[in-house]
Amino acid sequence: MNDTMIVTDSVKRFKWVGTRPIRPDGVPKVTGRALYGADLKLPGMLYGMILRSPHAHARIKSIDTSAAEALPGVKAVMTASDLPAQKFDYIGPERVAVNFWHVTRNILAREKVLYEGHAVAAVAATSGSIAAHAVSLIKVEYEVLPHVIDVDEAMAPGAPLLFEDMITRGIEPTPSVPSNISKRLEFALGDIEAGFRSADVVIEKEFKTAAVHQAYIEPHACVAKYEPDGQCEIWSSSQGHFQMRALTAQILGARLGDLRVTPAEIGGGFGGKTVTYLEPVAAILSKKAGAPVRLQMTREDVFRASGPTSGSSMWVKIGVMKNGTIVAADGIFKFQAGAFPGSPVMNGCLCAYAPYDIPNQRAVGYDVVSNRPKAAAYRAPGSPISAFAVESVIDMCAQAIGMDPLALRHKNACRIGTPTLAGPKHAHAGYSETLEALMKHPAYRVKLGPNQGRGVASGYWFNGGGESSATLQVNADGTVLVATGSPDIGGSRASMAIMAAETLGVDYNAVRAIVADTGSVGYTHVTGGSRVTFATGMAVVNASKSVVTEMCKRAALIWGVEADDVVWDDGYARPANAQAGDNKALSFKEIAAKAAATGGPITASHGVNAGGQAPGFASQFCDVEVDPETGRVTILRFVAAQDVGRAIHPAYVEGQIQGGVVQGIGWALNEEYIYNAKGLLDNPGFLDYRCPVASDLPMIDAVMVEVPNPTHPYGAKGVGEVGICPPMAAIANAIAMATGKRMTELPISPPRLLAALSS
Amino acid sequence: MGARIVFTAGFARRYTSGVREFEVEAKNLRGVLKAMDDLYPGLGAHLEDETTVAINGEYHETGYFQPVPPGAEVFFIPRIEGG
Repeated sequence: MNDTMIVTDSVKRFKWVGTRPIRPDGVPKVTGRALYGADLKLPGMLYGMILRSPHAHARIKSIDTSAAEALPGVKAVMTASDLPAQKFDYIGPERVAVNFWHVTRNILAREKVLYEGHAVAAVAATSGSIAAHAVSLIKVEYEVLPHVIDVDEAMAPGAPLLFEDMITRGIEPTPSVPSNISKRLEFALGDIEAGFRSADVVIEKEFKTAAVHQAYIEPHACVAKYEPDGQCEIWSSSQGHFQMRALTAQILGARLGDLRVTPAEIGGGFGGKTVTYLEPVAAILSKKAGAPVRLQMTREDVFRASGPTSGSSMWVKIGVMKNGTIVAADGIFKFQAGAFPGSPVMNGCLCAYAPYDIPNQRAVGYDVVSNRPKAAAYRAPGSPISAFAVESVIDMCAQAIGMDPLALRHKNACRIGTPTLAGPKHAHAGYSETLEALMKHPAYRVKLGPNQGRGVASGYWFNGGGESSATLQVNADGTVLVATGSPDIGGSRASMAIMAAETLGVDYNAVRAIVADTGSVGYTHVTGGSRVTFATGMAVVNASKSVVTEMCKRAALIWGVEADDVVWDDGYARPANAQAGDNKALSFKEIAAKAAATGGPITASHGVNAGGQAPGFASQFCDVEVDPETGRVTILRFVAAQDVGRAIHPAYVEGQIQGGVVQGIGWALNEEYIYNAKGLLDNPGFLDYRCPVASDLPMIDAVMVEVPNPTHPYGAKGVGEVGICPPMAAIANAIAMATGKRMTELPISPPRLLAALSS
Repeated sequence: MGARIVFTAGFARRYTSGVREFEVEAKNLRGVLKAMDDLYPGLGAHLEDETTVAINGEYHETGYFQPVPPGAEVFFIPRIEGG
């Protein structure tokens, strides 16, 4: 492929935006030179290891670390007693509502262990083998307790309680007895009962989805170096080193200014690396040992002890008129939070019907704890789960009234001004356009054979804005350094360089984008919520504009005119009027070379709290073939249309769409946590937890629909998440067409589908 | 013409005795937060810490600087975090 191949209309307006330059992180990654969290080795570094619970649920009666401490080579041993107590208080955003009383107990257990793999104690030693031996010498006396894994069983009266004093929030009057239900939410619009009375067809169904892991390739890892003066440096792989700094500071009781966090290259995150597990432990071990300490998870640790997304149990009911108007939608969404409160059930509720103009809606959500690892964010957290249920029932409605499923969705598609369950009216278009792209797609008219079916589904995600910072430095040779605080998990370095080059009017290859540490650039919120190209991009563009202003001032000084007499045009300072005379245009490079003489280094920083982000809409269809003898589902074709605003680097945008679809295929067909009767995870590895591999997949046809966002200087919208919302329902709908069987539980694995076909 | 301030039912239950809609005169969000804090002391801090705001449907962080056009609908919803 030509590395500047034109695929979007952006290049009609822009020189670099919309092109596909070679990714700046490509060579280090494909040659194995990129440094990830586990690659760093400091002089005198110790090897940390964590002792984890062998039980799903048990009371900790005692911990004896004396034998481990006495082992030669062991330099530090710690338990939760080495971390300060945290106040019980839900603070911050509703979905995450961080309660550090819970967070510190997830990092190291205190009164009880709440899931297999729950961290109990940690050691640091001069070698990995000594650390492993030391961990085996720690004696923990447990009182094993009954456990509960399934969300419906966890909600049932008499279920084993994870927290004996947990009273459900959001219910009035306040319940008098504790339960595993952390919170109840309800959102409503219109008159739900009247809506259903006006429907010609009403369909309701129950659904279940399995907890699935983000399955990033790189396990969590960090190195911490705590100095005697209280300064601490941390190198870690995360989606937000400022977030890691904040969380670690709170857990340690340290000041932000005493911590400096450097981001390592990241081998995938998908939301799962917005959480801290290791950093505070490594910091305390380093403080106790007086030496740097590295901690890293094994793959088994990742599965057992880091956040998957929630599994769920749902009920959805939708009413439709014979002409295709959807008049009412109702749903109950029960999400597993894992061992501590905080599932993405609110998002699941608010996104459930968001693509549609439905006058009467209700969504009730429950956040439920059970003896599983604490749920973490996963690509559009919550939205794919409710979309599976809602988009399945919409498909059944289309079938019941004999309407094409794309046409039904298009008839009810939200527009600018459509009310949402969240409250505000939609302010951006983009959904209808994705449906129209599929309707026009030639593959939608391909005839299907025996045992084959076609399924359609859509999805919605809010997308994020928020705080970001960028610093630009102009070098004497005219090259430019762009430093941001956004870890690059989806190609942001290339996108930032493109937007800087476009704004400055310089060659893309003269711009190098880096991810700077917390001491070298301003605060930047996590790389998550599909926010980076939008929000950090704004900071980069604004900083670039400041550089342009400075370049004009420097040119004016060189010419002996006023800055207002200089105009910036395509990378050159040119006379703006007669006062500027007939001076020859000065290039960016020429002005950069005169930096010392004209005032010193040319640099600019900008911070934004970006707002006005547009949501993501995606619509997809897929063709499947079901083997009636084995229950295996083969994906024959997958077409994914997404409103991308304007694709800054189209190859990365296609990659985001394809990646979301592939993860959705895994969620739909194979991925699940399998627990045995003791509540222990039986498949904590990629051999038994089956993600899709290349040979399972057709080429995913990513269709970029460009409805630019007017609030972003280049029209960008977040693209990283919404692509994972539709695949599960699209596949289930295709299977329903192929077999006549409506599959309501994920994953639709061969044994489960075969059982349904045999019933 | 004042701005129409709207809260979710849950937020209103917690902080405004169930009242979901208000009309206030304000040029920016700082003015909205101050007006609401005057009505319900302490509410301004809750709005800052816990909400995202949609001004005529456009989502923003709840920052003082956001302009509020005359007649705008200012909807506070629980803050969303992504993956």
